[in-house]
Amino acid sequence: MLKNWINIFIYHIKNNKFFTALNVLGLSIGIAGLIFAILYWNEEHSYDKWNPDKDRIFLLVNQMDETRFWASSSSPAGAAIKEKTPEVEDYCYLTGDYTNEIIRFRDKKIQSDKIVSAQKNFFTFFPFDFVEGNRAKALPDENSICLSEDLALKFFGNESALGKEVVLQNKKLLVRGVYKLDKKSSYNPSCVVNFVDYGLRETLGQWGNFQLVLLIKARNANAISDIIRNLDKLYYTNLTVRFAKFNGMSPEEYVKKYGVPKPHLESLASLRLHTKTGGLVEGKGNYQFLLIMLGLSVLILILSIVNYINSATANAIKRAKEVGVRKIIGASKTNIIQQFVFETVLIVLFAILISLVIVELSLPYYNSFLEKTLTIEGSQFYMQLIIIFFVTVGVAGIIPAIYVSNFEVLQVLKGNFGRSKRGIWLRNGMLILQFTIASFFTIGSYIVYSQIEHMNKKDLGFKASNILDISYRNTYSDNDKTTKVNRFNQYLLIKNELSHIKGVKKVAGSGFVFGGGVSTTSYLYKDTEVDGNNIIVDFGFLEMLNIKMAKGRYFSPKFAQDTVSTMLINETALKQLNEKDPIGKVIKWGDKDVTIVGVVKDFNLGNPGDPIPPMSFFHFKTFPWFVNSLNNIYVDVDASNTEQTLADIEKFWSKNVDQDYPFTYDFVEKEYSRSYSNYIKQKELFSLLNIIVIIIALFGLFSLASFSIERRMKEIAIRKTLGAETNILLKELSKQYVLHCIIGFLFALFPTYYFLSKWLENFSYRISISIYPFLIGFTTLLVLTLFVVLTRAYQATKIDILKYLKYE
Amino acid sequence: MIKIEKLSKVFRTEEIETNALSEISLTINQGDFVSIMGPSGSGKSTLLNIIGLLDSASGGSYKLLGEEMVGTKEKAKSKARKENIGFIFQNFNLIDELSVFDNIELPLIYNNVPSSERKKKVEEIAKILGISHRLKHFPQQLSGGQQQRVAVARALINDPKIILADEPTGNLDSKNGNEVMELLTDLHASGSTILMVTHSDYDASFSQKTILMKDGVILSEKLNNRNVDVFAANLNN
Repeated sequence: MLKNWINIFIYHIKNNKFFTALNVLGLSIGIAGLIFAILYWNEEHSYDKWNPDKDRIFLLVNQMDETRFWASSSSPAGAAIKEKTPEVEDYCYLTGDYTNEIIRFRDKKIQSDKIVSAQKNFFTFFPFDFVEGNRAKALPDENSICLSEDLALKFFGNESALGKEVVLQNKKLLVRGVYKLDKKSSYNPSCVVNFVDYGLRETLGQWGNFQLVLLIKARNANAISDIIRNLDKLYYTNLTVRFAKFNGMSPEEYVKKYGVPKPHLESLASLRLHTKTGGLVEGKGNYQFLLIMLGLSVLILILSIVNYINSATANAIKRAKEVGVRKIIGASKTNIIQQFVFETVLIVLFAILISLVIVELSLPYYNSFLEKTLTIEGSQFYMQLIIIFFVTVGVAGIIPAIYVSNFEVLQVLKGNFGRSKRGIWLRNGMLILQFTIASFFTIGSYIVYSQIEHMNKKDLGFKASNILDISYRNTYSDNDKTTKVNRFNQYLLIKNELSHIKGVKKVAGSGFVFGGGVSTTSYLYKDTEVDGNNIIVDFGFLEMLNIKMAKGRYFSPKFAQDTVSTMLINETALKQLNEKDPIGKVIKWGDKDVTIVGVVKDFNLGNPGDPIPPMSFFHFKTFPWFVNSLNNIYVDVDASNTEQTLADIEKFWSKNVDQDYPFTYDFVEKEYSRSYSNYIKQKELFSLLNIIVIIIALFGLFSLASFSIERRMKEIAIRKTLGAETNILLKELSKQYVLHCIIGFLFALFPTYYFLSKWLENFSYRISISIYPFLIGFTTLLVLTLFVVLTRAYQATKIDILKYLKYE
Repeated sequence: MIKIEKLSKVFRTEEIETNALSEISLTINQGDFVSIMGPSGSGKSTLLNIIGLLDSASGGSYKLLGEEMVGTKEKAKSKARKENIGFIFQNFNLIDELSVFDNIELPLIYNNVPSSERKKKVEEIAKILGISHRLKHFPQQLSGGQQQRVAVARALINDPKIILADEPTGNLDSKNGNEVMELLTDLHASGSTILMVTHSDYDASFSQKTILMKDGVILSEKLNNRNVDVFAANLNN
């Protein structure tokens, strides 16, 4: 039986090479798309998956207001919640960022960029496998360090790392363990030290100071509500009541006016993709993008399956006689279904093979697109591949097979079946579905494109052509005030030297990166609380970046108070302050009264789609701790000789500023555009998929039109005999496709509008959906449809009449 | 073998009701060779289709080998068909995409005959019908007569209890037609039961009994004169 099936299968492939190839290719592209989405999906879902306690380890998230969720917590919270709640088994504080520093071993120095400082029980929260040493005794004190296998290898080669002494931040540390970093987790540190205890002791009792990440391990996963209830109580006693008293109001009044942090717990299992915070060190998975990828690739697969079904049912009519004869001879319905499903199995197997080849070949591009290192492997992936296989065969194989098996023998054998209307509703329905999907993509990609263009064209409020941002490692020691003054003087020295390099126009330091985040500090003005982003700058910085003033003046060394007690605000802050004449008004900021001397025109610091937050501008000297944030030195470079100037700066830098760490810089424009590269990628992805979708849909349309025109050859011949002109024939042949195109487009209207509106909600600076994308999408689709159908139809009108009239 | 009583078939469209068969009764015994004749629309093909279990009756009774077939399910019909009935058509109905061998082999496949036995059987019957040298060809490469012989081979391969032939010579020239009729006569002589629909008096003369139909009823049944057979045979000789 198999041999018989294969014979006839091969016969059909041989006689329909072109359409078979189209079908297989279409399916391969569809499956390849899904494989790409699945690889990405698996990778994102693999974070912390290996952790046996992922469901009972929680990140304490503090909700500051409606939309702001902080991943950091205050120092006393951990011990307090453990004492108060028996369900809490343990807690662990750790730094919210990796540090990037040089570690020394004898005369060897290696820069390590993923250093984490955590409490000693870190390895019970992230139980990495230990190659050397003992996990339980890995970080007993502040003089211990554990290295990842890679780092240990770099330092000690094949020698044992255990017991060796390395130096970090001028501290001698004993290597107590070496762990394997072979699985993804929220923290993938290159090495772990135990420095946080010091910071915890320093800030003990400061309930309002949210500095470190706090992980809480519960005895079981269901203890969340108990823990949160107790945290609420703790926050009430230690934050609300205390601060209310301080402000001289009742706790209720205080809550009403200022609000209090609300604690939430997010399990490690859900952290990567579903956290409401900005994510931990390894970042946050873009769940929306993941869903978009998966959704779009499923749509494309559906599209190619629809193509397959259409062409299979269309071909089935040609095979009606075969089916009829088989049935007379004794084939049951099941026999026929089996035979046709078998053919689909072969096609899908082949398509999967080709799709794997496609994936393998284009994986490097995909990886650089996602900035990931995905590979085709893992039992999970192969399981999913098998599921894809069965689902595809199920949908693509069974519908046509059932359709075919229901052919009525008598009708088939009487002839004329080739022109019967059977199954036409199925094919028309499928065609409409294809038009719907294609409309969705065409309109959608146009809207996405418009939004990104809209953002690109936005007046960002600053100009940064040829301005360099040099990372400045402004290391400091927290408790030494004199050093802070020295630090700033050190900066002034560097600034002065830099200014003398040929090609350097201006130099100014600042405490932020365009496209990055900054710290925020709240202040009060006449009962209004403003959460200002702290923008700490040197004189001349705003001028250098062409940031304009709306009112008042820039900071200037001419005014002595500018380094003591003045600030600028931006327009957004002004709006919130609700003050007509802000210049000269005094604000209590921190422990000082500062005077507003100017209003800066709004400019974008973050992604251009986000709203511009209120900002407070200060000079570095205004508050002593500001100098800590002096991590960026901006240099305006002459465009005519950038390369030489850069080389000179680097030479100066590595000789006089920092001998240990490499010179790292970036152009501000590039740095900034990275802040919304995510959306640019979505645009590119959508455009690429749009092209694929349109190609697949046109394939489908082409084969369907070919088929249906072939069936109408006799009719065309008769019409021609009766004197029909070519253009009348063309109209006759193409009108049904135009109709289907319109219906498909109409079906796409609502879903497109709905999903794209959802997507646009990501942006506060956004376009509104107008009628144009719909008009343009529709016109494009209609033109392409007519092009395909008319080409086909035109060929048909050139036929030899006699051939078709004699037929049958 | 076949016992039909008051069998009727009604075709309904929205406006008209047509009686294709009205209460026909007919018996065919084992070893009979019966022809059905009649003008177009007389119901002869409908009758053949019902007997061949390709179509279902609207009323009455049709017993095949003692089992009632009116009102049985498609699955049972399919089973009865593949075990008992061999078909020969005017337009041969061979599968163009399969070789002669594969075409003849098909009924065996659907009857779950093992592969080695299938090969033997196909070769045997091809030899009997003189198409051994054509087994690897495709139907389109054969003459009409050869194609019909392939169809006959396919109809016989399963040793059916009854052979239904629908104008088996309709698409053939007289020489090839004659060959096919002789084939059927030989089969009859070796004990097969044959029911044939035909337009041709000449073809009908090969059979034992001719039934004449018109407007869905049987007008007459007549036993064919042996003499005619002899005469025709003599003429042929």
